[in-house]
Amino acid sequence: MRIVIIGNGVAGMEAAIAVREAEASWQITVISEESDHFFSRTALMWVCCGQMSHRDIEPFERDAYARFGFRRVRARAVGVDTRGHRVLLAGGLSPVPYDRLLIASGSAPRRGPWPGSDAHGVGHFVTMQDLSWYENEIHGGASRGGPPPRATAHLSATTADSPYQFREPGAELHGRVASKPAVIGGGLIGIEAAEVAVAAGLRPAFFIREEWFWPIALEPREAQWIGKRMGEHGVEVHLNHEVESLEVDPIGAVSAVKTNHGPYEADCVVIAIGVVPNTGWLANSDIERDERGGIVVDEALQTSAEDVLAAGDCASVRWFDGSRRPEQLWYTARDQGRIAGRGLLGNRSSYARGTWYNSAKLMDIEYTTAGLVNFDLERETNWFFEETGKVRSTTRVVSQDDRVVGFNMLGRRWDHTVLIKWIEERRSLSWVLPRLHQAAFDTELVPPLQAPGV
Amino acid sequence: MDQQGQNGLLATYREGWRNRGVLGFVISTMLIAFYVVLYWEHKVEARFGVAPLTALSESIGLRNRWYLYGVLYSVAMVGGGIYYLRRHGNSRYNRVRITVNVAIQIALGFTLPFVMPLFGGQEVYFSYFWPLKYDYLYPQTLESLPLYFAVYTVIGSLLAAPVLALVYGKRWYCSWVCGCGGLANTFGDPWRHLTSKSDKSWRFEKVSIGIVFVLALATTALIVVDWKIGAQHPTLHRVVAGNDWRDWSLKSFYGFAVGAVLAGVVGTGLYPLFGPRVWCRNFCPMAAMLGLIQKLGRYRITVKPGMCISCGNCSTYCEMGIDVRSYAQNDESFTRASCVGCGMCAHMCPRGVLKLESTGRRSLAVVDS
Ligand SMILES: Cc1cc2nc3c(=O)[nH]c(=O)nc-3n(C[C@H](O)[C@H](O)[C@H](O)COP(=O)(O)OP(=O)(O)OC[C@H]3O[C@@H](n4cnc5c(N)ncnc54)[C@H](O)[C@@H]3O)c2cc1C
Ligand code: SF4
Repeated sequence: MRIVIIGNGVAGMEAAIAVREAEASWQITVISEESDHFFSRTALMWVCCGQMSHRDIEPFERDAYARFGFRRVRARAVGVDTRGHRVLLAGGLSPVPYDRLLIASGSAPRRGPWPGSDAHGVGHFVTMQDLSWYENEIHGGASRGGPPPRATAHLSATTADSPYQFREPGAELHGRVASKPAVIGGGLIGIEAAEVAVAAGLRPAFFIREEWFWPIALEPREAQWIGKRMGEHGVEVHLNHEVESLEVDPIGAVSAVKTNHGPYEADCVVIAIGVVPNTGWLANSDIERDERGGIVVDEALQTSAEDVLAAGDCASVRWFDGSRRPEQLWYTARDQGRIAGRGLLGNRSSYARGTWYNSAKLMDIEYTTAGLVNFDLERETNWFFEETGKVRSTTRVVSQDDRVVGFNMLGRRWDHTVLIKWIEERRSLSWVLPRLHQAAFDTELVPPLQAPGV
Repeated sequence: MDQQGQNGLLATYREGWRNRGVLGFVISTMLIAFYVVLYWEHKVEARFGVAPLTALSESIGLRNRWYLYGVLYSVAMVGGGIYYLRRHGNSRYNRVRITVNVAIQIALGFTLPFVMPLFGGQEVYFSYFWPLKYDYLYPQTLESLPLYFAVYTVIGSLLAAPVLALVYGKRWYCSWVCGCGGLANTFGDPWRHLTSKSDKSWRFEKVSIGIVFVLALATTALIVVDWKIGAQHPTLHRVVAGNDWRDWSLKSFYGFAVGAVLAGVVGTGLYPLFGPRVWCRNFCPMAAMLGLIQKLGRYRITVKPGMCISCGNCSTYCEMGIDVRSYAQNDESFTRASCVGCGMCAHMCPRGVLKLESTGRRSLAVVDS
C-alpha cells in the first residue's frame, strides 16, 4: 500500500505516525515544501526573538523520518490527478503515485488587499520563510540557533505563488534593521508579531480596524484591559484604524501605513489579517472546495475524490452550529490528523468536535476560554470580575437562562476540562461560582482568586 | 506582581556568551582552571612556586582558600539570583524558591561554617547531607563531629531527606536547599537551555548516575566495614581507606573522581557548554537517591489535556534535559526521577499546560517512565 501525505505539519505528521504504528511495511511518503522537519508553527515567535532555536521547536528528533521509515519529498505539489492517483510536483519532478492520499497543506496568510502590499519590507508571519524575513527585518538575520537545515532546498521545485517563498527584507535596501515596525490586524498572530518587535527593543504600531482588540475572542472590557497591558509593554495600539494603502519610497521599500486617520511612518509592516486555506494549488484538480477555499470533507475527513482525505487547517469541517469552515487550531489539526490516519488505514472513524475551548498568552497575560462566550446569545448574562492587586486578572462567566454556557478568563490559569464539564452538566451560575476554585490551575504559591460569591 | 507565565520574551539565542560562543568557551575555561587550582593547588605550588588562591585568600584576611571559595560561591549565587529574578521573578514560585535557596546558602553554607571556628566550634554544614556530602556518614567522621551534629546528619540523611522526598519530591532539597542546585539555578541560569534533551543524553544519564550512586553506597559500606575490622586487615584498610591519594584507595578515589572532578571541575566548569546541571543530572548520588524515592512519592507534573501546542518552551528551558513536551503533547502527567522541581517548565509554558503538584489528590493518571 502506498500512502502519500502532503504536508508535514501536525495534521500530516500525526496521520503518518498513526499509519506507521499500525502498518510496519506500508510505503509512506511525506511531501512538504516548507521544511525538512516537522516543527511547531505555533512557536515561530519564540524563534524570532531568540527564546528558542529551530531545533527547539521541532517536537521530534531529527532522525524521526528514518526511524519511522518515511520517505521525504521536499517539493511543491501543484495538483492532484485524482483519476490517475498521482500527485503532481513542481520543478519538473516526476509525479508521486498513491493508493491513498492525505492533504494536510495547512493555511496560507491572507494577502494584503492594499496598494503597496508587495513592497519590500512588507510580509506575513505564518510560514518558516516569513519567520526568516521578519528575523532579517528586525534583527538582521537568524539567531545563534541558526537557520533550519536545508532551508532553501525547496526552491528548485516551487512556484512563484507559493507561501513558502522567501521575501526580500526592506532592511537590505535600507542598509539597517527596522526601527519603526507596524502590525496590521488585531488577532493572535498580530499580537505575536508585535510582541516579537517589543522584545527587539522596538515600539511597534498596531493597527486594528475594529473598535477593540481581538473582537472574536474578547469583549470591550477585556480588550481594554489587555490594551492597557500592551501599552505598558510599549505597543502603540491604534483602534478604529482602517488601512488604505502602504506607501512605498523611491527605493521600493515601504515607508508608511496610510489609514483613515492619516499616515503613520513605518519601515517594516507585518500583515496579519488572518489566514486562508492553503489550497490554491488545487485549483485545477477536481477536489471540491468551499467558497473560501477549504477542502470539503465529511465526518470521516474524506474529500469528494476517492481515496483522498484532508485534515487540519485546509479542511472545511462541520461546526457544532451547523456551519462549515476550517478549524485553524493546533489541537484540532492534531485530532483530525489522528482520525485521518485511521482513514488512511481503511477504517472509517468520525471526527466530532466537542465543546469549544482554547488558550493563549498575550504578552504576559494568560488567556483561557471554554464554551460560548462571544456569540451574543439571546437572554445572555455576563458575570464579570476584575481582580486588582498582586494578581491582575479578569473572570467572565457567561450564562443563558441561568445555565452557564461559557468562560472567558484572563491573567490566571484554569483547567478547561473542569469548566467544560460544568458547561456540559448545565450548571447554574450560583452553583459554579462557589466552586470556581476547583477549576483553578494556577502555579503553586499563587494566592487564589477572591471575588464576591467565589 | 504575580503573573505566572514568562514576562516578555527572552533573547537567549541572540547572545553569544550563552550559546557556546567564544565568550562561552572562555568562561568555561576560566571556571575549569579555577577548580583545578582550587583542588590541586599543592601541585601548582610544587610546579610553579606559587599558591595563587591561598595567597589571595590571605591577602584579604581569609583563613584559607576554601573560605575564599565560600565567598566567591556566595557572591555568584547572589549575583546570579538577581539575574534570575530579573528574568523570571514575576512568578511567586520562582521568587520564593530562589530567595530561600540563596538565603540557605548564605546562612548555612557560608556564614555559619565561617563563624563557628571563630567561637572555637567545629565548622559543619547543615545544608549538606549524605550521600552528597559523602563523608558525613563515615564512622570516622561521625566520631569526630559534635554529638548534636552527628545525630542531625544521621537523621537528616537517612530519615528526613527520604521522607520529605516522598511527600514533596526531591525538589525540597535539589531546588530549595542544596548549594550545588542553588548555584546552578542562579549563576548557571543563563545556560539552562543548553542541557541536552536527546534520548542519548537520557540514556547516558541513567547509566552514569547509577554508577556513581552504587559507588557511593559501596564506598560508604566498605568504609564502615573497614572501621569495624580494618585494624586487623591492613590490606583491606589500605585498599578501602588509605589516605594518601597515591594509594588509589576507594575512599580517595571517590573523593578525587566524584568530589573534585565530577562535582567541581566538570560539574561547574562546563556550565557554559552543557548547561548548569551536568553534575546534578549525571552524577550526584543524592539526586539519584532522592529521584528513586520521588518516583514512589506524590510529586508529579500534571498536564492539562488537549491544551499543549507542542511549542517546546518547557523542554528548551528544562535544566535537567527532560523532554517535557514529549509528555505534554500526549496529555500524560508524569514523574521523572531526574526532575528537580525548579518549576521553569510550568513558568515558560505559554498555554498554562503544566503544574507542579505534590498534593494527595491525583486528578489525572500519572505515567511512569
Ligand atoms: C504564528 C502562528 C501562531 C499560532 N498559534 C496558535 C496557537 O497558539 N494555538 C493554536 O491552536 N493554533 C495556533 N496557530 C495555528 C496552528 O499553527 C495551525 O492550526 C496548525 O499548525 C495547522 O496544522 P496543519 O498540519 O493543518 O498545517 P501546517 O502546519 O500549516 O502544515 C502544512 C504543511 O503543508 C505543506 N504544504 C502546503 N502546501 C503544499 C504544497 N502545495 N506542496 C507541498 N507541501 C505543501 C507545508 O510544507 C506545510 O508543512 C498559529 C499559527 C501561526 C501561523
Ligand atoms: S507543555 Fe506548554 S511549553 Fe511545553 S510544549 Fe506544550 S504548550 Fe509548549
